Amino acid sequence: MALDDASAAAESSGWRPPRRSQPLPRITALVGSARRFYKTAAMAAAAYAGDSPWFPLDYLLRLARVVVLLSLWRTVLGGSHTVSGISTDAVLTYTLISEVFADILNCRTDLIMALWEGSITSFFLQPTRLVSQVVARTVGRWGFSLVFFSMPLLLASPALGVNPWPASPRAAVAFGVSLVLAAVIGFALEYLFLALIVALDQSPWGIEALRGALAMVLSGAVVPLALMPWGLGDVLAWLPYASMASAPLRLYTATGAPLTLILLQVGWAIILWAIALRAWQANREKLACYGG
Amino acid sequence: MGKTLRTILRHWRLFAWMDLVWITRQPGFFLTYFVSDMLLALGTIATTFLLAARFEGIGPWSEPRVVFMLGYALLVRAVQDMFFGFNVAIISRRIGRGQLDHVLIQPHPVWLTLLTEGFVPFSGAMALIPGAALVLWAARQLALHPAALWLGLAAINLLASCAITLAFSFLWGSVAYWAPRAAEEISSAAMSIMREISPFPLDGLGPIWLGGLLTALPTGFVAWYPCRALLGIDPAPYAPVVTPLAAVLLSGLAAIVFYRGLMHYGRVGSQRYLSFGHRR
Repeated sequence: MALDDASAAAESSGWRPPRRSQPLPRITALVGSARRFYKTAAMAAAAYAGDSPWFPLDYLLRLARVVVLLSLWRTVLGGSHTVSGISTDAVLTYTLISEVFADILNCRTDLIMALWEGSITSFFLQPTRLVSQVVARTVGRWGFSLVFFSMPLLLASPALGVNPWPASPRAAVAFGVSLVLAAVIGFALEYLFLALIVALDQSPWGIEALRGALAMVLSGAVVPLALMPWGLGDVLAWLPYASMASAPLRLYTATGAPLTLILLQVGWAIILWAIALRAWQANREKLACYGG
Repeated sequence: MGKTLRTILRHWRLFAWMDLVWITRQPGFFLTYFVSDMLLALGTIATTFLLAARFEGIGPWSEPRVVFMLGYALLVRAVQDMFFGFNVAIISRRIGRGQLDHVLIQPHPVWLTLLTEGFVPFSGAMALIPGAALVLWAARQLALHPAALWLGLAAINLLASCAITLAFSFLWGSVAYWAPRAAEEISSAAMSIMREISPFPLDGLGPIWLGGLLTALPTGFVAWYPCRALLGIDPAPYAPVVTPLAAVLLSGLAAIVFYRGLMHYGRVGSQRYLSFGHRR
């Protein structure tokens, strides 16, 4: 079934786009969209344990990784109080918070996997836009991890010898704004890579692996950019990957200029979404699903 | 014994040939996989490498020692990828999907089939080149002039590290005998734990965590402990044989659990080819 046929089928099932000229139907449509978003997110959260019943193993890996990284920083930084303008305490907080919000800072949707499995066709049969569906599903999964991994990790932070609190109330507010922008950039990259895979007719696995490797190194989620060798961090700080992870974490630990970081994030969000939407519009009809 | 060895070599040659045919048939597709998997492998060691470069080492590990350990970790990964491809290493997928039937109908023992049919020496070699390069560079920097005994111990430790990772995967993967659908991906989660933690020096950990990472989650044996022994960071004379011993113990345990699972599979089978199975 062609995508346009699928969209037409979805619309003929009773769903209608809101009529923009009339305020009341528009508000009703907005409430309806919010309800659909909430329901989809709730279903994704509820399905988390069912779809991947061994998620505690993943959480165990994440816990082991954060414990190992904290010990590594303590070994490396030793008795020094400040390195490259960052205190040891700030580095430890940075590492902990990076793991607490890892899902958001390394934003991944199930779009690419759905393309791999062929289940992406069902996305187009839903009476909602692709973007809102994907965002709702992802946010639902984040909610599950937040409750079952992030909150317990934050509560366990005294046992790990780390101060989990933001540097100041102002830093907390800036972090909140930056985290939302980081997610917006992450979703744009997901869309962009989806369009790229469809355009190049390439296996999702190869491009996903490449992207995972790049994100691991370039985003500053594991090693703060200021602590990278050879001045690498100064260059990487301007890339979109840094705006996804490093920027919010620097704001949380008050080791970056809030206005510059947030403006850079806004700039990347606008640029990436413009490219992603254009690329998707140009390639969506090339989408082919096999599944199996 | 001689006949079995000849069978193993014949199978390896056959699977190597099929791997080569696959590569030459779709070189573009192969290159995409190969390069991205190589970058992914390098990505897993990048964090430790960057830290070692920035701080000129990590604790008792000088920069070349860290590089040696990272190269060793990549070699362990390379051996697994080259010898246990096609989901042999991620055994829960085969069990969960009922693909073990394909192993059972072969005219060979299960262990021989599992040892040979995942052999992909070309398409699985993505970690081999960077791993070997890192080990050779580090050996040169450390002015290592290894004797035959050291080389033998290094080879045994490397095989032992591979065996520990595989045994851990098989141990967890055996759960799929009893819960095929739910545990289909459990070996993949177990392998992730082993691979992602292995490139980090664990010297700074407290005794509880360190003990845990050498027993319940034996990721410390993938690279950290054997490299400590080989590079003389751990001066204990028994240090070079600890990893092989751990490999024997864990492999024995995994074999027992896997065998019990296989017996259970023999009784209940899989639903793969039943009328409601997913291949009918």
